[in-house]
Amino acid sequence: MVDLLQLVFAGLSQGAVYALVAIGFVAIFTVSGVINLAQGEFAALGGLVAISAVGSGLPLLAAVVVAVATVAVVAVLMERLTIAPVKRMTTLVSLILTLGVSTGLKALMLLVYGPDAEGLTPINPGGFTVGGVSIRYQELWILAVAAVVSAAVYWFYERTLAGKALRACAEQPVAARLVGISLGRASLTAFLIAGCVGAIAGVMASPIYFTSWESGLTLGLKGFVAATLGGLVSVRGAVLGGLLLGVLENLTAGYVSTGLRDAVAFLLLIVVLVARPSGVFGRSAEARV
Amino acid sequence: MARRALRLPGPSARRSRRGDVIGISVLAVLLAVFPFVAPGSLTNVGVYALIYSLAALGLSLLMGLAGQVSLGHAGFFAIGAYTQAVLVTEYEVGGLLASVAAVAVTMAVALAVGLPLLRLRGHYLALATLGFGIIVTVLAAESTFLGATSGIFGIPKPEFNGRVYNSTTEYFLLLVPVVLLALLLARNVVESRIGRALGAVNDSEVAAETLGVDTFRLRLQVFVLSAAYASVAGTAFAHWLGVVNPNAANFPLSVSFLLMAVLGGLGTVYGAVIGAFAVEGLDDGLRRLIPELVPGAVGEVQLIGFGILLTTIMIFLPGGLYQLWTTARRRLSGSDLEDGGAPLPAEGAALPPDEGPLLAREGRPAAGTPLLEVSGLTKRFGGVTAVDDLDLTVHAGEIVALIGPNGAGKTTAFNMISGAVAPTAGTVTMAGTRVEGRKPHVFARAGATRTFQNLQIFGSSTVLGNVMVGRHLRSRTGLIGAALVVPARREERAVEASARELLDLLGLGADADRLAVDLPFGRQRLVEIARALALQPDLLLLDEPMAGLSGAERRDLARLLRRLRAGGMAIVLVEHDVEAVLALADRVAVLEDGVRIALGTPEQVRHDPAVVAAYLGVEPEDSAAVAVAETGPGELP
Amino acid sequence: MSLEVRGLAAGYGRLEVLHGVDLTAGDGRLVAVIGANGAGKTTLLRALSGLIPASGGTVTLAGADVTGSGPERLARAGLAHVPENRLVFPSLTVEDNLVLGAYTRRRGPAAERREARDRALALFPRLQPRLQQVAGTMSGGEQQMLAIARGLMAQPTVLVLDEPSVGLAPRLVGEIFTALGKLRDDGLTLVAVEQNARAAFAVADHVYVMDRGAVVLEGDAATLASDPRVTAAFLGGGLSGDTPDGPPTPGTAEAGQR
Repeated sequence: MVDLLQLVFAGLSQGAVYALVAIGFVAIFTVSGVINLAQGEFAALGGLVAISAVGSGLPLLAAVVVAVATVAVVAVLMERLTIAPVKRMTTLVSLILTLGVSTGLKALMLLVYGPDAEGLTPINPGGFTVGGVSIRYQELWILAVAAVVSAAVYWFYERTLAGKALRACAEQPVAARLVGISLGRASLTAFLIAGCVGAIAGVMASPIYFTSWESGLTLGLKGFVAATLGGLVSVRGAVLGGLLLGVLENLTAGYVSTGLRDAVAFLLLIVVLVARPSGVFGRSAEARV
Repeated sequence: MARRALRLPGPSARRSRRGDVIGISVLAVLLAVFPFVAPGSLTNVGVYALIYSLAALGLSLLMGLAGQVSLGHAGFFAIGAYTQAVLVTEYEVGGLLASVAAVAVTMAVALAVGLPLLRLRGHYLALATLGFGIIVTVLAAESTFLGATSGIFGIPKPEFNGRVYNSTTEYFLLLVPVVLLALLLARNVVESRIGRALGAVNDSEVAAETLGVDTFRLRLQVFVLSAAYASVAGTAFAHWLGVVNPNAANFPLSVSFLLMAVLGGLGTVYGAVIGAFAVEGLDDGLRRLIPELVPGAVGEVQLIGFGILLTTIMIFLPGGLYQLWTTARRRLSGSDLEDGGAPLPAEGAALPPDEGPLLAREGRPAAGTPLLEVSGLTKRFGGVTAVDDLDLTVHAGEIVALIGPNGAGKTTAFNMISGAVAPTAGTVTMAGTRVEGRKPHVFARAGATRTFQNLQIFGSSTVLGNVMVGRHLRSRTGLIGAALVVPARREERAVEASARELLDLLGLGADADRLAVDLPFGRQRLVEIARALALQPDLLLLDEPMAGLSGAERRDLARLLRRLRAGGMAIVLVEHDVEAVLALADRVAVLEDGVRIALGTPEQVRHDPAVVAAYLGVEPEDSAAVAVAETGPGELP
Repeated sequence: MSLEVRGLAAGYGRLEVLHGVDLTAGDGRLVAVIGANGAGKTTLLRALSGLIPASGGTVTLAGADVTGSGPERLARAGLAHVPENRLVFPSLTVEDNLVLGAYTRRRGPAAERREARDRALALFPRLQPRLQQVAGTMSGGEQQMLAIARGLMAQPTVLVLDEPSVGLAPRLVGEIFTALGKLRDDGLTLVAVEQNARAAFAVADHVYVMDRGAVVLEGDAATLASDPRVTAAFLGGGLSGDTPDGPPTPGTAEAGQR
């Protein structure tokens, strides 16, 4: 029983990271129909920039701000340089383009930060034990930050004019243009959101799961799986999908085999996509951010 | 564009066949000379380029032909390599036999993986294949039988007739014929009935389906074939490196396969080979160059070049190096390639003037036999009932028109009948086969096909190519036959001849070798009808065939339809040109708000007050008319 | 004149659908464009509001040449387009749909937006109790009202509507056209594309009849209403003189005089 609780708790905190990455996928996909394969690299870059900023003597909070700002700039540049110029964005083109950006970013991180995985200093090191379940402070931080960030994103889409304009673009692009909303600006905003959320995910995950130039690959994929579980069009679905995936992975690692942890996500992806294309939590194909 | 079919849009198939003989010969000479001219280290790069070109070729087939992306092709590469390694080292099977087994194993895995995966589309499929690649890596690293993370060692260099192919030059020369053969087979597939059908699927899946192309099955076949290519590469890799470890399924390797295919250009099979040499050369160059520029750089730093290249190609040169080549060739040969067809025939000269029955077919049901039976057909979208309890029987040798105001549900009814949309309730029986809710190719197999309101012409092929797809069900060469070309060639000639014959019959003969999209709109519409007729259907559904046609074209079309009816074909048309319909149809069904409000002869329908109200709309103040409209289905007078 | 269209040509890819259309609207009049399906009415509106590029001709809005402008710019310039099939934002509330309708006015005074909202709600009182309802769950007629109200939120000088009556019960058609009449009386210039010819004739001041991408008839609504050629344009043939061969149709003329 304690094992179960331990695994579920670890799964939730890991799932919270997936959830943040998944929000980035959802933000971009709903507006521009692009699956951003560089989403995981946003997270990895966020982690690495924060680590090196701390290494060069910045306080942790400042380092986090620098990391988020850097990734946001990268995301915006990516949209302007690779997504905006394309006239007819087919699935094939969008996949190859974002794969190109993802590959380039990976190599850039390798060149700048070297091949080794490192961890960011945690906000509070150490942890405590409750009823046999050991909890690290960082895990609580992850959960708290993920909750705040997803609530903020949710609030943005539900309550602000800019957020509603993004939803309008996602649901009825033609009508959105007719009321004067620029799809180009909407796409840029979506990348900005994805960059910020991705960077936060990377920074939060780094102290526990470590960051290297390569960590974006699996993180991005897990984020995609999480977003897909939620139907790819909903922030709420993405968060639930992330948590579900994190818990399932940890249960598999705990009860079946550690090595199979990474396989779970993709088996789940295939099963869900074949059986229920609108996602586990999705109700319809309708865009619902 | 990148999604275009691999087929050359050349003026004739024969000419491109000669072009391929020349192309492959030139490539053969170049490759044979390469190891003797290039310095030793470059030959080593060349060996990897040849090995990887096989995998890239498979991926190029998958992407170019089936329009699907795989981001996990290294997974199949690794399965091939591991199987080979295990068979050779553990069970001491001969290299050649082991390769056959390795390819078979990989194909079986691809089939098992493809069955669920290929139900996914676009992004989902791509990401699922990526997941597949990662699962292969994980399983290989976990399996002690496969040597876990350190892999399998000691795979010997291949040995034939007591001769060991040990040096780079020898191994290179050993691989050259393999690659050329693979290229030839790929090219044959591209040029075949299967390639044609897949090209059509890429242009318009729904149109290909209505011509009887089972898209899922074909995609699956190409997926398995493409995995087979990757596994051949894997076996060659295992012998050359002597070691196979989980890195063989690594994601960066899948990316480089993708880059090779994209860089060379998805428009041609040669692209993969050229792309492989370019990418491997770049890889080698960057691995040397970057550490010199950036001290301390280690690992896969060459990836930065890959990333930049992938992005810039997609933005500036989506057709890859092949696009450069075709542009250059076009510029060299002047404008005659640009507009290589016959001059535009004068409008109205389209159909030969004779009036007799057309395309009668042996064994067609006798006129008056019920052919299509629609019963209780209903479609609801959310709360809206688009089609409500529609009954309709169509007999052989009659023209039935389906008319109604905008939004009346005509096209939805059509889509359900032809299998493109599954109904909420009701049945559709075509010549004894229940077809509702099944794919359009089932409908086509039952002897019925359709055209589309907004043209679904296969834009990347010629008029002849379009019509030849219509012969898909009337020919049977499969993937293997196509690859081995010899038995397929005769059938191809017969298909081409019958397609040309049909085009001549419809007055499209002069346009046969032009790209279909280059024709004026009215002719494109005729091409779509010709394509449907190539199927030799017993029932033809036409969705607004008159829309956008000139007066003369409408007259010609009406005459064509009458002649087809005289030949025993049943025709159902949705049409807005009510006048044309009333003049042409034997019976007319009128839909309003999804309900059939009238069914009868043109004369009966013309005088039906409910029909007049439905068409001209109802004046809000006109209470009598409102009453007519609200009582709904009007009884026939 | 608020809206002047001269020789407008447009289409999709290689297919030209609209072949040089002239149209004038202004002075707070309601102009109806009618024609059978496929006549090019929707293409005309799409080209007008910049959703598809014009391949020829000019569009002048309140004296300024706006040919080739995208819809975002035209929306700011005072053209509101109520699209075919309404296209309300389905998962947003009625209130939020209205808020987004005033997107081009988002930097203007809030009082102005509130006033526009009040006017729109006064015009369509059915929307008032549904302000917090999700738009996608409303009936077709209510969605149409919302789409019009959303267009009005931008405080346009010209409102163009694409088939506002399609798929609606006759009672609702009446309600919507009454509202359009009120807007006209308030001085707004309206262009409505309609398939429902009778409804259009009942409220329009001026009618254009389109067939195969061109205007084939135009004139005062009162004069055209009894013109048998209009009926002929709907039930096919007659106008362009190139009908497929077939017997003459006694029924159509009779229907037109009903």
